[in-house]
Amino acid sequence: MFSTVIEQIVNGIVTGSVYAIVAVGMTMIFGVLRAINFAHGEYYMLGTFGAWFAVDYLGLSYEASIIVGVLSTIIVAYVVGRLVMQRMVGAPAEAGVLATLGIALVLQNTVILVFGGGYKFFSGGYIEPLSVLGFSLAAQRILILVVCLLVFIGLELMVTYSRMGKSMRAVSQNVECCEVVGIDVPKVVLHTFILGAALAALSGVLTAPVNVSVYGGMGELITFKTLPIIIMGGLGNVRGTFFAAMILGIAESLVATYVGLQFRDTVGFATLILMLMWRPYGLFSTQARF
Amino acid sequence: MKHTLSRRALCISTAILSLAVTVPGLSGLAFAADGTIKLGIVAPMSGPNARYGAFSMRGAELAVKEINDAGGVDGQKIELYSADSQGTPVEGVSATRRLIDEDEVDYVIGDVSSSVTLAMQPVAEDAEVLLLNAASSNPKITYAAGVGGFKWTYRNYPTDENRAFVVAKYAAEQRGFTKFAVLSVDSDYGRSAIEFTKKYLPEFKGEILTEDYYKEGEVDFRSVLAKIRDSGAQAILMYGLADTTPIVARQMVELGLAGKVTLVGNGEFNTEKTIKSAPTALEGAVEAAAWLPAWDSPESKAFVEKFTTTYDEAPNNHAYVHWDTVRLLAQAIHEAGGNDREKVREALSKIKYKSPVGEVTFDDHNQARLPMILLQIENGKPAIKGAYTAEIQYPAQ
Repeated sequence: MFSTVIEQIVNGIVTGSVYAIVAVGMTMIFGVLRAINFAHGEYYMLGTFGAWFAVDYLGLSYEASIIVGVLSTIIVAYVVGRLVMQRMVGAPAEAGVLATLGIALVLQNTVILVFGGGYKFFSGGYIEPLSVLGFSLAAQRILILVVCLLVFIGLELMVTYSRMGKSMRAVSQNVECCEVVGIDVPKVVLHTFILGAALAALSGVLTAPVNVSVYGGMGELITFKTLPIIIMGGLGNVRGTFFAAMILGIAESLVATYVGLQFRDTVGFATLILMLMWRPYGLFSTQARF
Repeated sequence: MKHTLSRRALCISTAILSLAVTVPGLSGLAFAADGTIKLGIVAPMSGPNARYGAFSMRGAELAVKEINDAGGVDGQKIELYSADSQGTPVEGVSATRRLIDEDEVDYVIGDVSSSVTLAMQPVAEDAEVLLLNAASSNPKITYAAGVGGFKWTYRNYPTDENRAFVVAKYAAEQRGFTKFAVLSVDSDYGRSAIEFTKKYLPEFKGEILTEDYYKEGEVDFRSVLAKIRDSGAQAILMYGLADTTPIVARQMVELGLAGKVTLVGNGEFNTEKTIKSAPTALEGAVEAAAWLPAWDSPESKAFVEKFTTTYDEAPNNHAYVHWDTVRLLAQAIHEAGGNDREKVREALSKIKYKSPVGEVTFDDHNQARLPMILLQIENGKPAIKGAYTAEIQYPAQ
């Protein structure tokens, strides 16, 4: 009984790691642009498709497919960032919502047109189970966990010490002042956006072996899961996002086990509604960001 | 000021997003021909059931091609129209309306998903267009048809009640399973199959230890599989989607369930692609299907060969039933002596159609009397264990 609970929490942490990598990109984009990126899940999807294409069509190894998936997403993100996201600086929030929703539809349907609407099976990755502390856990899941920790440590360091990270923080605090002191705001926006999309793609490539299925609409679910996380974590808050993702992952895992699998997705939506009602500034901030 | 504005925008946009979840599908790819029999196919061409839709369409296309190449039905060519239901009732209804109003079809075959077919029934009834169902199995579809109400709905497919009975009997009597866990899709199909299983399980001293339903598109089954492992179940009753089976099977391997707990039910356990995704988890799996490529009859073998050479892929159950149903319809039109819908409907009620699995006749609920074929995966290959017909007991009106 007790060990089941522990195992479910471990499951939840692994699920949470996937959410965390996707959500942190979205929350950083919000930080610099003040716009929710509704197309964020689509970059996750693009990363997965890129990797699937590399493994199934080009016959590359899984390791190489990670690079293909992330690089191809970066290219798409660069184009979208140049054409759309850079114009969103200073635009009203509604413009961002409509633009990103539009991008989501275009990306999804392009993929469906090119590859067809059906499910594809991703065959790469390390799915053999390993026994860890008495639980069987696929090697791939341990990889996800490790990558998640590395990504967050890297982001903390970047935001605190690097010039790029400092400018990102500055832009997220006050756009006008940044312009006055000569920070190239559109450039910071573009870089943040590409970084966020690349992280989403990385998360997609990492989960593909355990989620197996790849299809055009797969990003939607991730966007939905990410929204409550970034709101719970406090919009623009990197560390908060990590803990919020873990909380949601564990909560979902416990609900799926003890309440019923069919109620899993309600956890995120219920959290979203409750957070918007009581703590719209997130669990880990005391000050409203918007 | 700006703060409240963007917060409101977030709320509004969340609402918009929940409305905009579905992708507009790809539809209306009409088959150009100069015939006069207009036949519409409603099937999921995108979304989680897209695989079924693609097979359905190919099966139907093959039958239409065969019939037209042989001179059509009494000289009339069949023209095929397709519409994407995305596997959801809302899209299915608008797809059906589009076929009826814009393409002006006389006959509709559809849908794969029971929930969609149930929603399509009243639409076909209003328009007095013959709705032939080829692939959904919820018993309610024919409870409400024929003497049950909808005069224009027919079904050329066995029901979940048959399936649940056949599977439960085999699992209990031949395999000795008594402890079951439920993991089925959360739809009219998955739920009703379990409902009927529960009706028959006590007869075979079987019990259900855990019960879970998954949403279409679900990819993480670890929590529920861990629960099943701890419950001590011997078999998982799974009435699921073909696209989900490999995910469940792979995660069974991950959790060490492969080879210990057996999958029982329906969800394309028997296709090569599925078995290849996790051979150890699928070994011994028991499935009841309306038809199988390995089915031993000359017509069936000829179909498999023709389908494989045409599309470079072996057909599945859905390809077969759509192929078969188009041929059934063609015979009904031939027997009616023309394209008069009313007469075709009467002809269908009286038809004696020779299908590869046996003679098809319809009962007073417009339900075809058909066997279920039972198979088991042995050494990575499906082995046929027999065909069973169970009488359908309709609830009292």
